[in-house]
Amino acid sequence: MPAILLERLPLPSLHTYISFSVLFLALATFYAHQTVTAKLSFDPNTQLEEELGLPPELTNLTLPYGEDEHFYNMLYIMRIETWCIWTLVNSCYCVLILLGKLIQNIVFGELRVSEQQHLKDKFWNFVFYKFIFIFGVMNVQSMDEVVLWIAWFSGLGFLHLLTQLSKDRFEYLSFSPATPRSAHIKLLSLLVTILILCTVILSGCVWVGMNVSLTIFAFLAAESVLLLLRCLYVMVRYVIQLYDMSLEGVWEGRAIFVYYTELVFELIDLAVNFGHHLHMLLYGNIFLSMASLVICMQLRFLFYEFQRRLKRHKNYLRVVKDMESKFPMATQENLEQNADDCAICWERMESARKLPCGHLFHNSCLRSWLEQDTSCPTCRTTLSETNEREDPRPRQPGAPNGGEVIAPQPNQGTTNHFFHFDGSRYVSWLPSFSVEVTHTNLLPGQQAHATQTSQLDNMAREVQVVFPNIPQSVIMEDLRITRSIDLTIDNILEGRVTVPPVSLTSGGHQRNDSSGGTSNSSSSSEGATSQPLSLPPPTLPPAPSSAIPSSQLFSAAPLESQSQPQLPSSHQDLQFGELPSKSVTQQAAARSSEFSQSAGLPLTMTGGRFSKSATERMSMLDQRKKAMIEQARRNFELKQERQLSTESASAVVNPRISSEDNGASLGRLETQTEEIPSNIAQESSVRGRDAADSEDRVRRRALLLEATQRRLEGASGRNSSGLSS
Amino acid sequence: MAGSALKRLMAEYKQLTLNPPEGIIAGPVDEENFFEWEALIMGPQDTCFEGGVFPARLTFPSDYPLSPPKMKFTCEIFHPNIYADGRVCISILHAPGDDPMGYETSAERWSPVQSVEKILLSVVSMLSEPNDESAANVDAAKTWRDDRKGFEEIARVTVRKSLGL
Repeated sequence: MPAILLERLPLPSLHTYISFSVLFLALATFYAHQTVTAKLSFDPNTQLEEELGLPPELTNLTLPYGEDEHFYNMLYIMRIETWCIWTLVNSCYCVLILLGKLIQNIVFGELRVSEQQHLKDKFWNFVFYKFIFIFGVMNVQSMDEVVLWIAWFSGLGFLHLLTQLSKDRFEYLSFSPATPRSAHIKLLSLLVTILILCTVILSGCVWVGMNVSLTIFAFLAAESVLLLLRCLYVMVRYVIQLYDMSLEGVWEGRAIFVYYTELVFELIDLAVNFGHHLHMLLYGNIFLSMASLVICMQLRFLFYEFQRRLKRHKNYLRVVKDMESKFPMATQENLEQNADDCAICWERMESARKLPCGHLFHNSCLRSWLEQDTSCPTCRTTLSETNEREDPRPRQPGAPNGGEVIAPQPNQGTTNHFFHFDGSRYVSWLPSFSVEVTHTNLLPGQQAHATQTSQLDNMAREVQVVFPNIPQSVIMEDLRITRSIDLTIDNILEGRVTVPPVSLTSGGHQRNDSSGGTSNSSSSSEGATSQPLSLPPPTLPPAPSSAIPSSQLFSAAPLESQSQPQLPSSHQDLQFGELPSKSVTQQAAARSSEFSQSAGLPLTMTGGRFSKSATERMSMLDQRKKAMIEQARRNFELKQERQLSTESASAVVNPRISSEDNGASLGRLETQTEEIPSNIAQESSVRGRDAADSEDRVRRRALLLEATQRRLEGASGRNSSGLSS
Repeated sequence: MAGSALKRLMAEYKQLTLNPPEGIIAGPVDEENFFEWEALIMGPQDTCFEGGVFPARLTFPSDYPLSPPKMKFTCEIFHPNIYADGRVCISILHAPGDDPMGYETSAERWSPVQSVEKILLSVVSMLSEPNDESAANVDAAKTWRDDRKGFEEIARVTVRKSLGL
């Protein structure tokens, strides 16, 4: 590839290049100046010309301008002399590069790696194709023409690169919520400038078309139209993006807008490009050359792109049609019943579509999801029965990846057959899809009116075992929608199930529940700020025990952590259990106050606030991370200490065996991982020996520990219950 | 589209900051790019990963809630469902279309109602209960099945390492 080869060339640094360019330009100017003065000061008819050392072609040269127009004479000389022309061209490039650098400094600042890479690729690609165009298609011979074409493409390429850079930068900026306004303004004004330049160029093309030739006009116009389109596209996208970001809430029409902009621009771009290349192919009479091969390849690529785009659009239209015909818009009543936000974008729903399974989503969110999958995002009910019919190819039963998977869902009493066909593994243009067939007796439309089957009863009972305080009717209600115990439990855990307030005993609870009611950001977060001990959303719903005053809350904590064993329970628990060395009660008490402070720190930071400023958010996040690691380290060290002491305690019971055990296991470990420092092994065995005479001490310490622990529980039970839940 | 993805990520970030689940911290690595997150996951209690703090990277696609993010542990971790290079292999991180292991139902896969929090909670439960049937790291799965003690020792070493001790 030319690009790879050229990348490896030792390119000089910008400074050297500029200084050399300036030097050459100075030389050329000096030469022209000398020639002109020499020419003017000597009579062309004298014999002295050979002695002056002027080149022979200059002897016959007559200067077109008079003596007063020294500068024009110089330019004339420079134009005639070949090396001077190249020097001038080079200086133009130098100026262009400097201009580019300037723009980069003003608008973009430091370029990111991916932007640099894109720029490089685009540049060499451009150079390659334009080279083919000039020498392959146009078959330019004369120097002047070459220079003109080079000038044209340099300017065009420059603008192309700037557009590409703007596009990359725009995409990058759209990844961040906290871009300063000035960055947007700079980028947009650059785009506007490019746009204006494009129109200027285009009108220049029209002039050329009227005065020179229509073919040339077509070539030039196609190029500039492409540039114009790309620039305009970035701008439109940018404006849409900015408008959307400034908008609170959802802009329902946004997705459609973006989609059609993209579609229209892409199609026009491809069409123009295709026409341009076709024109090249037909114009040049170059059917049997390398250039034609390159152009044909390009044509083929463009054609497939076009086709692919149209196919995608067809799919899109089908999805939209399907959706509109099958899923009605939710009524106002539905919306009111459903207090939740749209589960896809987490924004409020002013209008929504309702799926047969009863779940609501934004129109645009649902559509973009249905473009890639045909099941309900929430409950995974298959929505499209037409999917199988639409596949023109028969499924390949024996294919390794076209297999059928039967996934029985034990609690549901239904079987799901899952088919997956990955066509792209065979031929690149084959579609990949997966179909899930759910065998249920209930038709989707009737689900809502399902009678209370005994199966449902059983499921409800099972759920109620886990959540005794939630009325059965509520569980049944949810089960009818989800038809799965797991999903219902999930729903309850995340507060999606609204429990009538009757079942709640204390005010604290209602608060918690209301904060869990919307599993999403805003309302729950406010609850958390005012109430540092609020439960995080995936906790259990208010169990009756936790309604009792604080001292008993702590005893409820282990219960909760039992039911959710995968979550680490409170660090505080750990710490209370792990004060082995400082067994003096006073010390422990002092430590407890110290600890409640240190525990309070991450608490206020974690349950704290969500700053509006990006830098503050970053620093808060960093702090939280550090605090977590710090705490984990402390816990780890404490635990290790305790482990050593318990090891020594067990060593008392049977010192020989346990120490042997230790040695053996640690020895194995060392050979296996070579990571455990050997001093631990030594330490523990030493301790094992010491332990024999400190048996009593250990026991006493353990008793003391327990006592202090109990006291501490009383003191800060409230705090720890908050943590442990 | 990056715009709606950004809004959603912002909302998730907010929720995770205000209401963090136990033992999980997550947020963008750099606010300049909201599509690259770092998460710290505390090893679940009463498992061999207890006490460790494991950092992971989450990379979101620009159509985020429609496609799942990618998750990769940046620390060393020896686990049946984590590839040797740190990539996490759990079903909810797989898009409904692809099925690398061949036997997940689409119900377990990614859907836009999932969230970073749910992913991280699943990872926590994956840490406590490795699934050696769909192993990403065959060595780890073997060790887990045949030599539980050895596995636990290795886990303890990774815990220690993850804390920088």
